[in-house]
Amino acid sequence: MTDMEFEKQIRILANGMEYPRTPNIAGDVTRRLRSSIRPRFISRKLAWSLTIILVLFSSLMLIPPARAAILEFIQIGIVRIFPQPATPTIEAVTTATPQSIPTPASAPGSDSQLLFPFLDNIAGETKLANAQLAAPYPILLPTYPPELGQPNHVYIQDANGVMTILVWVDPQQPELVTMSLHFIPTNSWAINKMGPVVIRETQVSGQRAIWAVGPYPMAMRDGNIEITRLIDGHVLIWADGNITYRLETGLSLEEAVKVAESLQPIP
Amino acid sequence: MDESQLIQRAANGDTTAWEPLVVAHQEAIFRFAYLLLGDPDDAEDIAQETFLRAWDHLKRFDTARPLRPWLLTITSNLASNRRRSIGRYISALTRAFRDDPVPPNIEEKSLQRIEADHLWKAVKQLTFTDQQIVYLRYFLDLSVTETADVLRVAEGTVKSRLSRALDKLRNIIQQDFPVLTEGREP
Repeated sequence: MTDMEFEKQIRILANGMEYPRTPNIAGDVTRRLRSSIRPRFISRKLAWSLTIILVLFSSLMLIPPARAAILEFIQIGIVRIFPQPATPTIEAVTTATPQSIPTPASAPGSDSQLLFPFLDNIAGETKLANAQLAAPYPILLPTYPPELGQPNHVYIQDANGVMTILVWVDPQQPELVTMSLHFIPTNSWAINKMGPVVIRETQVSGQRAIWAVGPYPMAMRDGNIEITRLIDGHVLIWADGNITYRLETGLSLEEAVKVAESLQPIP
Repeated sequence: MDESQLIQRAANGDTTAWEPLVVAHQEAIFRFAYLLLGDPDDAEDIAQETFLRAWDHLKRFDTARPLRPWLLTITSNLASNRRRSIGRYISALTRAFRDDPVPPNIEEKSLQRIEADHLWKAVKQLTFTDQQIVYLRYFLDLSVTETADVLRVAEGTVKSRLSRALDKLRNIIQQDFPVLTEGREP
């Protein structure tokens, strides 16, 4: 196919694009112009998020243990962890965070349910080679456990920087995520992870690391309202240079550290 | 009353003159924002803000120029900022976890639309700059001159950028969406 034929083909394909119905922008703009007060530029979704966050934050602040917890946090790379000293009877929530790929729960007492039925709907799926081209940092792959192999899914998301997410699924149940590894560049939006039940400080290749056991929030959306849902799970967080790593897994701490320390550049 | 007269009236504060201009261009602006951001709510926010920002700066607008490219420039800038904003970030993450608001009905969805979706996914793998130029030229069907006007670059620059973007797009399609070109070789 020549360049001209390819261009023509693209134009034909683009003409088939289906767009949502155009809303009545003129009406809304005119109304806003005629109003003496122009609302600050803020999206409805963001407004909902901020409202929910504010309400929940305020609620937590009314409870002394929670207030104490909120005032202190542990920071690893760009991740801030707000410990929850008491048994989390309060559903601690936070802003939507890049805990995009919940892993199956393996915390004691948790249900081994399919926690991630929406794998096909995650934005930004790509191939490993393309992700490496897009990411301005080396994407590392675990060489432990030896049988792990390459990730089953690779995503890149714009998080004020290229965030890479590698996902491994259960070969017998492809809808069940067994492990995910997030590469989060320093300039990304800060991650606030509130309410992990167990936090342990550890090391990954001599670097300070944090091991946190759920629940952790997963952002969801229903219509125009964003909500968070708590998922039990384990996460190992450490930073190296400009990248913060998050390893979500059902493995034990010791095994997770082995995975983290086995990271090697893509062969 | 032609566009430039409406703009002049609007620049003097006449909202009734601005409304028909918004009506005339809202679809292109909304669609461009939708293509860039991939979310109808985000696109609506950006489209509204585009017309509000343009209204604020109408006095400085050269009425000899067509309005649409200028509006598209504003849309592009706002969308670019939005992609970096926390609102966009939250949207992207939450979108990852929600069901498709309009679940595609494969049986009813025409092959043409499915192919267009694949093309869109391929274009999204390009850089933002490359995406812009592809959307303007092929999705919104702007001429090279209009595209140059939107991007504030020379027409020759549009052509060279477009050529590079198409090369990249061709590679992506060949690798990830070969169905878009299969059986179409001359």
